[in-house]
Amino acid sequence: MGHVSVGMVDVTSPLPRPSTMGRGNAEVRARLLMVEDDERIRLALGLALADEGCDVVEAASGEEALHLLATTEVDVVLLDLMLPGIDGLEVCRRLRGQGELPIIIVSARTDTSDVIAGLEAGADDYVTKPLMASELAARIRALLRRRHPASTQPRPVIRVGEVEIYPAEEAVLRGGAPVHLTRTEFGLLMELAMAEGRVVTREELLRRVWGYDYFGDTRLLDVHIRRLRRKVERDPDNPTCVLTVRGRGYKAGGLA
Amino acid sequence: MTRVRITRLSLRWRVAVAFGLGSLMITGIFAVVTWNLASGYMLRQREMSATAQAEVNVRLVDSALHQGSGGLGDLLTGLTTDSDSSVLLERTQGWLTSGRQIDPARLPTPLLALGEQGVPARQRLVVEGVPVLAVTLPVSSDRSTYVELFPLTQIDRAFRYISAVLIGGVAASTLLGIAIGLWTSKRALRPLTELTRAASRVAGGDLQARLPAQDDPDLARMATTFNRTVEELEDRVRQDARFAGDVSHELRSPLTTMANAAAVLHRRRDEMTGTAGRAVELLLAEVTRFQRMVVDLLEISRDHQIDDAAVETVDLGELVDHVTRVRLHPCPVVEIDGAAPAVQGDRRRLDRVVANLLDNAEKYAGGPVRVAVLRSTAGARIEVDDAGPGIPPELRRQVFERFARGVRAGRRGDDAGSGLGLALVTQHVARHGGSAWVEDRPGGGARFVVELPVGAP
Repeated sequence: MGHVSVGMVDVTSPLPRPSTMGRGNAEVRARLLMVEDDERIRLALGLALADEGCDVVEAASGEEALHLLATTEVDVVLLDLMLPGIDGLEVCRRLRGQGELPIIIVSARTDTSDVIAGLEAGADDYVTKPLMASELAARIRALLRRRHPASTQPRPVIRVGEVEIYPAEEAVLRGGAPVHLTRTEFGLLMELAMAEGRVVTREELLRRVWGYDYFGDTRLLDVHIRRLRRKVERDPDNPTCVLTVRGRGYKAGGLA
Repeated sequence: MTRVRITRLSLRWRVAVAFGLGSLMITGIFAVVTWNLASGYMLRQREMSATAQAEVNVRLVDSALHQGSGGLGDLLTGLTTDSDSSVLLERTQGWLTSGRQIDPARLPTPLLALGEQGVPARQRLVVEGVPVLAVTLPVSSDRSTYVELFPLTQIDRAFRYISAVLIGGVAASTLLGIAIGLWTSKRALRPLTELTRAASRVAGGDLQARLPAQDDPDLARMATTFNRTVEELEDRVRQDARFAGDVSHELRSPLTTMANAAAVLHRRRDEMTGTAGRAVELLLAEVTRFQRMVVDLLEISRDHQIDDAAVETVDLGELVDHVTRVRLHPCPVVEIDGAAPAVQGDRRRLDRVVANLLDNAEKYAGGPVRVAVLRSTAGARIEVDDAGPGIPPELRRQVFERFARGVRAGRRGDDAGSGLGLALVTQHVARHGGSAWVEDRPGGGARFVVELPVGAP
């Protein structure tokens, strides 16, 4: 079930390099915090990720990770779920409570319920072991790219219902009050807003927001849409901004 | 009814028929006995009273003859009390009759002969459509014979009434017996119905199903046995699930280490030459194969039920199209038949089905030449065609079995699969309530077909 990895990539064969990889050599080396209790995995994945151009900081437990993050700046957290002490989900929730630091869950748990729980806890992505460093690196790059959407926005502000999006500032207001979105949630909202009311299919959203040739598994998308709605909708059960188009995808409602 | 037919009846009906037959037999015997006793008694009474009356009448006739035959005709007329009765007197000069006119020739000769011989006799007979009791008595004064016919119409009506009541009673009690049999067997089988319901819930995966406690000692044993069996099964399933989870974790972790360490080596393969280099290449290839196999094995051995959370409406055309687009090897454009069929399913598993079919075509038959999504009578249909050597009919079932790759020639040695690809296809498709098979492709090669119902999995 390794292929349960949310971005369902055939991890066992040489990877199709994402088109953006290798481009933009100016990219600084990504700095990662790997939270993993299995020392051998830490070592092997650390070596392989270093080969992929990442600097890896390691933590063997949730407590250690939280402690480290108080003093160390990293770009992405790789988080195992089964940890001694504070469990991975709890670490994820605490980190999400502190800010928008990108989190990728790396777990041996493959059940749908685990994937959903991980994403609901605030993770940006969920991959299952055994995974290859190359795949992980591609996802990390995609995640970091979300900070700078590819196309520059001509408009300073986009309105979706009562939600105002300021692309340049990466800020979102609802009814004048600021809404804190993660990078992934912001990317998702931008994609829908920029489609100007047209339907965006699930595959398109996955490819554009997660920036990777995703292999179907849309639980990732479903959970993120749910999270986004909780933040931007007045009544998440009756959405007016992020609308579902059954069997096809999503679209933005109430565009101004 | 032949034996085969009887066994074909349901248990309930067999019990009901047995009850009915039993009831029929008992009430039938009672009815026959009642009939015999009642009719015999009534007839005997009638005969006795008729004989007594006839004897009185004969004495009257006798005394009238003694006094001379003047008032004989009037006497005879007076003797016939009702319209259906007749009195006949055979004298030397001929027959004298009164009452209902009867031709003496119609009376049975043996009876008359007895009368002529001076022997009193009686016989029941039907004369001109009327049941009668004929009594013959000798008249002592002149050797004439007195015959009196007593109509039996009333008693006959009573007999008819009694027999109708008895037959009706037997029929009613038979029907009642069948009804009681049906009701009883339904009651008796009710625990069995509950058992069936519980068993089918268990079969459907609900291991919480239990039988309610029973008061009846026979049923209580069955219920406890059933419940214990299900409990043990539930325990086993839970243990198996935990074990599978543990195995999964224990295998995935070292595999992660191995695969990534292998990737580091792979990147530096140029630094290793000669024997070490060749050994590393071998090792890497096997790590890749091993990883694929473990992942497939874990998948095929553990997920038996589709998680409800994973089921969604899937546009099959879009899904297949998407899978073909992310392939490493070139893949033909998906042919979609009109409005793409949507199915209820687990996107991840369906992705895997399509990917494995494409893998299979690439591995054994030089790649797919046609991929199509069609509507079919069963629902939706995916077809993956290749232009390879095809699969002989005797192997078509076998290729879907686990580790069946030995059965086919022509696989590429450098890209060994897990041997579970098509078995996973079968399993995933079955989880969706569909089926997968292989047939000949028109024009050579194999056509792998997956059919999925449009409804829920």
